[in-house]
Amino acid sequence: MKLPEPDAEIIAHADDIVAALRAIVPDGVVADPAGLAAFDGDALTAYRQKPLATVLPRDADQVSAVLAYASEHGVPIVPRGAGTSLSGGALPRADGILLSLTRMSRIKEIDLANRCVVAEPGATNLSITRAVDAHGFYYAPDPSSQIACTIGGNVAENSGGLHCLKYGLTTNNLLGVEMALASGARMRLGGKAPGAAGLDLLGIVAGSEGLLGIVVEATLRILPKAPATRTLLAAFPSVPAAGQGVADIIAAGIVPAAMEFMDRRCVEAVEAHSRPGYPAAEGVLIIDADGVQADVDHDIARIGAIARKNGAEVREASDEAERARLWAGRKAAFPAMGRLAPDMLCMDGTIPRRALPQVLARMSEMAKDYRLGFCNVFHAGDGNLHPLIIFDVMKPGELERAEAFGADILKLCVEVGGVLTGEHGVGIEKRDLMPAMFSAADLEQQHRLKCAFDSGGLFNPGKVFPTLSACVEQGHMHVKDGRMPFANLPRF
Amino acid sequence: MPTHIASSETDVIEAVHTAREWQSPLEIVAGGTKRNYGRSVVTMGTVLDVSGLRGIIAYEPEELILTAAPGTPVAEIEAVLAEKGQRLGFDPPDWRGLLDPEHDGFGTIGGAISADAGGPARVRYGAARDHLLGIRGVNGFGEAFRAGGKVVKNVTGFDIPKLACGAMGTLCVLTEVTLRVFPKPPLSATLAVRGLSPEDGFALLRRVWSSPLEATGLVFSKDTALMRLEGEKEPLAEKCAMLRTLLGEHAIGEIPEGDVAFKAVGDGGIFDDMPLDVWRVFLPPASAAAAAAELDSPLWLGDWAGGLLWVAALPGSDTVRAAAHKHGGHAILTRAQEETRERLDVFEPQDAVRAAVTGAVKAAFDPLHLFNPGRMWDGV
Repeated sequence: MKLPEPDAEIIAHADDIVAALRAIVPDGVVADPAGLAAFDGDALTAYRQKPLATVLPRDADQVSAVLAYASEHGVPIVPRGAGTSLSGGALPRADGILLSLTRMSRIKEIDLANRCVVAEPGATNLSITRAVDAHGFYYAPDPSSQIACTIGGNVAENSGGLHCLKYGLTTNNLLGVEMALASGARMRLGGKAPGAAGLDLLGIVAGSEGLLGIVVEATLRILPKAPATRTLLAAFPSVPAAGQGVADIIAAGIVPAAMEFMDRRCVEAVEAHSRPGYPAAEGVLIIDADGVQADVDHDIARIGAIARKNGAEVREASDEAERARLWAGRKAAFPAMGRLAPDMLCMDGTIPRRALPQVLARMSEMAKDYRLGFCNVFHAGDGNLHPLIIFDVMKPGELERAEAFGADILKLCVEVGGVLTGEHGVGIEKRDLMPAMFSAADLEQQHRLKCAFDSGGLFNPGKVFPTLSACVEQGHMHVKDGRMPFANLPRF
Repeated sequence: MPTHIASSETDVIEAVHTAREWQSPLEIVAGGTKRNYGRSVVTMGTVLDVSGLRGIIAYEPEELILTAAPGTPVAEIEAVLAEKGQRLGFDPPDWRGLLDPEHDGFGTIGGAISADAGGPARVRYGAARDHLLGIRGVNGFGEAFRAGGKVVKNVTGFDIPKLACGAMGTLCVLTEVTLRVFPKPPLSATLAVRGLSPEDGFALLRRVWSSPLEATGLVFSKDTALMRLEGEKEPLAEKCAMLRTLLGEHAIGEIPEGDVAFKAVGDGGIFDDMPLDVWRVFLPPASAAAAAAELDSPLWLGDWAGGLLWVAALPGSDTVRAAAHKHGGHAILTRAQEETRERLDVFEPQDAVRAAVTGAVKAAFDPLHLFNPGRMWDGV
């Protein structure tokens, strides 16, 4: 992956920029090399880059002031929450300000009567659920990094988790935001009342990967906790049998709270790591049904019967401790695989469920060609595939081979009718693959939308779109990546 | 007015190129049932009739996905889904009686999406925007584009499908829509508590809304709270029993044919023959009773546990929106004479910052203002 060329003129003015940021946030600017090392990337660990400076505002007014300054001087802004992006969404630029929202982490309001929580962007995902847990509510999107990842980052990435099929992604649980625009002006979208009150701009802000503005407040829907949950473990003799089991469950009108698939390699890795008690099988499903007791009992009986009909051995978690162990194993698939090799790439395509056997077979062939190990975990309910490719960055050529293998997997996802990314975002990781899914006209339409919010190209330049291009009136003319991507902007 | 009939994406592209050439705007119409919704389109140009873009393109029940041409009648889609025990989650209403009693046409899926129309089940399943996964469309440059995908979980690129929901056809001409669909439980029960004040009624509905019963209808009308539960036989019986326990102090009756009552709520049926304006007021649910008291309307009802008030007002009266704002909400003038719709604005007036962004978004899709100009606001 090629990182953007830094702008030498901006870097030459680093001292001015740092001084200006200190004037806005006196106690929240990091500019020394040792301090900046803590901000040199995110969870796409193969890429590292220190920012020009990191600023940590304490409130929305400071965010606005930073943006107004950066706009005036044409300095790129890279927003960052907890830095858990798996697609490089928060990867800094040498010529850019890293805007960290982690000091804006307050929960501003818990409004049980309207079933919502108002939070600052740096509040962690889990803190929302913790704030309302005692009242019998929770916040549904639960990305595996939920203990660390922030609500602002969740909005930017439209984060998902294990329960998306039934409860939706962030966008389906986000009622409103206040955001700071490139000029520093602020705009409220949505809120506690339903409906968009105009164009559904909130709908494009969710999942916009920091390209449109900075969320300074979010209003989130909370859900009443389900009174009952039961968990089944189904061990299938083959991958196609597991795929058919999944299809039959959905076709029977059951929407499980979660339905996770792991292949044999993944099961073995997890067993070696934490021994949750998974059976040795070609494909294992962990399935949760939740809701009122009678609904859950009814669904679990049918799910069990369908799985057995497809040749599975089925057993149920006998108690809460076993349930927790089975899920902890699944959530630890990443570190479990990590013990097998020093480096990993976690891919994130979504496919139509029916294509699962075909895609898994093709991936095995590819792995042989690339001489790399991999395993598969899969949010089976919604078709979101997470192949984990293991490699060693110290061995010459392995990173490139792993990236090429990953790219081939994602192209395969698109080929069978799916998409490049189900929940991790495009970032820099999948940026150059966008043309595999979208035509030039598709991408140009998206780019014009970006320009509608950010005509100066302030926010997260170099992410998501494969070519850096300037915003031109009506978007017809493209200026290819040059040394001065924003040549007509006033500078210093 | 000349009418350009399109029955394929290629036809739409051609119509847009012609419109560009002549700088002549298009009013985009399919079933035509919502032509009285929104402001009047400012056009001396052409009607672009897309009702020929019709038919279900793909339906895979086990994937919970349906792709259709936007001119497909909602009723046709609902019938096909019902055969497989599925349905559209956002519960698109039929506003023919409300908006245009003379109209003998049919509402289309493209129209339901473009108007962001959602019925009582929205309280459980979400709005049209939560179900539209992908689109194809033609923008004002005359270019066909796609956005979103055909799988339930996708974050690749901007979520333009959401933007198309409720945009009233001002951004692009839809040529294909992909929706996620939901299993439809085989049985439903509608329970009622009568003799309630609005305050007690909405408080009761919010208790159910905040419970795990997953009610698919929470309506307050006159003095009655109506609650719809769904499920298989035994689970439904248990949910009904849980509801009775939850609301133990109240006498609870069961209404036969409750689905008919809920459909009428979504359709705005009680206002059909009234010579009154009709507003939909969107509120934080807990503000519904206070807002209703302030509005003091001769005829109103509440849906979505108080998130929506349907309110009749004297023709031309301009007090509703201010009351909505006071209680933290916003309002759409859903039915009124053309003159009133121009004067009061149908959709929320925007502040300067929001209007500038909206204008820039409009220009990103349709810089020459060819699509339904003026339908939402001046210039959009």
